[in-house]
Amino acid sequence: MQHSWVTNGCRELVDLLSRYGSVEEVGNAYLVKVRAEDLPEVANELQWGLGGYYSTSVGADFRPIDGTYKLYHIFSVPQCSRYVVTQASLPPSLPKAPSITPVIPGANWGEREVRDMVGIEFEGHPEPKRLVLPHNWPEGIHPLRKDFPYDRKLIIEGVDDEVEHVDELARKYQVVPIGPYHPALHEPEYFELYVDGEVVVEARYKGFMVHRGIEKVAESRMTLNQVPFIAERICGICGFTHSCCYCQAVESALRIEVPERAKYVRTILLEIERIHSHLLWMGVALHVLGFDTGFMAYWRIREPVMRLAEELTGNRKTYGANVVGGVRWDIREDHVEKALRILRRVREECVALTEKVLKIKEVVSRMKGVGYLSREDARRICVVGPTARASGLDIDVRRDHPYAAYGELDFRVPVRDEGDVLARFLVRYEEVLESVSIVEQALQNLPKTPLINEDYEVVPLRIGVGATEAPRGEDVHLVVTGLGNKVYRWRPRAPSYNNIPATLYMLKGAYLADAPIIIASIDPCFSCTDHCLVIDVRSGSSRFVSFRELVRGGYRG
Amino acid sequence: MGRLGFIKDYLRYGVVTEKYPYEPVPTPETFRGKPVIDSSKCLGCGACVNACPANALSIEDDLRGGIRWVRLFIGRCIYCGRCADACPVGAIELSREFELSALESKDLIQEVGLRMVKCVICGKPFTTYRLVREVMRELSPDERVLTLVCPECRAKLTAVNTSFARW
Repeated sequence: MQHSWVTNGCRELVDLLSRYGSVEEVGNAYLVKVRAEDLPEVANELQWGLGGYYSTSVGADFRPIDGTYKLYHIFSVPQCSRYVVTQASLPPSLPKAPSITPVIPGANWGEREVRDMVGIEFEGHPEPKRLVLPHNWPEGIHPLRKDFPYDRKLIIEGVDDEVEHVDELARKYQVVPIGPYHPALHEPEYFELYVDGEVVVEARYKGFMVHRGIEKVAESRMTLNQVPFIAERICGICGFTHSCCYCQAVESALRIEVPERAKYVRTILLEIERIHSHLLWMGVALHVLGFDTGFMAYWRIREPVMRLAEELTGNRKTYGANVVGGVRWDIREDHVEKALRILRRVREECVALTEKVLKIKEVVSRMKGVGYLSREDARRICVVGPTARASGLDIDVRRDHPYAAYGELDFRVPVRDEGDVLARFLVRYEEVLESVSIVEQALQNLPKTPLINEDYEVVPLRIGVGATEAPRGEDVHLVVTGLGNKVYRWRPRAPSYNNIPATLYMLKGAYLADAPIIIASIDPCFSCTDHCLVIDVRSGSSRFVSFRELVRGGYRG
Repeated sequence: MGRLGFIKDYLRYGVVTEKYPYEPVPTPETFRGKPVIDSSKCLGCGACVNACPANALSIEDDLRGGIRWVRLFIGRCIYCGRCADACPVGAIELSREFELSALESKDLIQEVGLRMVKCVICGKPFTTYRLVREVMRELSPDERVLTLVCPECRAKLTAVNTSFARW
């Protein structure tokens, strides 16, 4: 499933990269050592010249090793099936680099996180504010620097009460804060919507309220083969893709050959995860639209998939299968039969149900034309996954950078051009069917090889990039192996990281009543839409609006 | 027609929710639930402690009492089963039990106490009887005596022996 122009593109890519520094091939990635001042130019060439996609930025404190800070930008170049990692070494006294955000707006968050966590300054960044750290966090303390012990308790004074409140806008429009948290659902996020009547004119976002510092924990006190289990707990729905991504990064760094059967088992579990995640989302989307009958129906279909995962791996959600070098659980013969039977039913029921749902006019009209994201905006903010594919961007890590067994299986990547919520719904629906077909193919062609290759040595300070297509989009992990069977630097980047900024574009010009489904349409976490506080700017009074009122559009400012 | 289709579905599939907790929920045989340590097999070697990603397992030596405690705190356990992978004698298995809430945190602790061996030179307890027995099986009779010497004393002995050898 590779593009026919792979070879040409690759030569072009290597020629381009070697203009800026020495190029080294590491698994599926090119590592190029560049000068910091060349970064915007390299970024420009890769993103706009070659048609690549910016993935993320990573900062690392290498002072104990060679006395510098390292700044990595990761790009995906699909036409070459390669990732590109640019590495710039920065002096320890005043680490700074020119920002690439003016060239690629999608790099905004990535660079701000590096600034917060490692303390690298970005010159020319259009929004040099904190992203991850709270506003009352003391200046000059950067948690991911190596001289910051992981168990240090910092006494922080005051409360983090500064929000992204824009006063001029607040004077002119009503402010509708959504979030930051609700006791019943998972993740806190805070959206601030500025509304003129019923129409949203501007939106702001603040997140990272549950930053758990798992990178620090993994780097400080976990061993190489313990990290997959914390990686699996990054996400409450698609954790397996994270542990897979981490293991692939380490395998790529240490050049570990993974047995064929392990690759197939990984593929099967990854796709089972995608099926249940998409069915979950489709149900939740209908729930947000007030159509709970459909919600229950999708979740009824989803339940046998969860049971199947439980039977294959021992748990409904945390499969615990991945370790560096392979997988721990085999798929038994009798399970193959059972899985095929369940998947056949999932496909039939999903098709029948979706046809029924799409015949209900109220459901379709609440999704059609709502939450529009243009192809150009999607490209500029570097969205990934179904959100990108619903806006006409034909990218999918499974096809562009074949990993696990995807290179040997046959599947289609659904792409739509409408860019609205309905398109995102349909892309996910088609993906469920493709995933069912992928699992079927993999189950029928399971190679008979060992499950795990444990014959490897942990060489310190090797860099590896792992990438998987999570249900929500491209998942990228960068690993630098460390001394004593540890990781020196591990940076996971979940797909929602690139997708959440897109909601702000989608919300502009939308009706307030559509805000929940728009925010939900990228499949982020969800608690934020549950209830909101309306501040009447003129009187200064406030009142709570329930989720139900907001969802049904019954609220009038 | 769309809505009627849903009613037809409901009639067809009936009730799909379960009466849990009023009825038990079946678990598959592969299910990974509460780990159980078989105290008759455990050697106290600590392989599980090294493997555990969540630090749910720990080892503590009570030197005065001469007992090594292997402790499993279910409150930290993530049911990954790495302990079962690591155990050289198969003393840990993951059961199918998953209803683990308790009123007090001490009820979430499983402990195995193992008698320790005293070093024949310094008299300090340093490892468990079972581990020594297991190691002795692998060794020739004249090597066995060294298994009863603690690592520190063994290092001193080796230093003395090698310095004599150099003379």
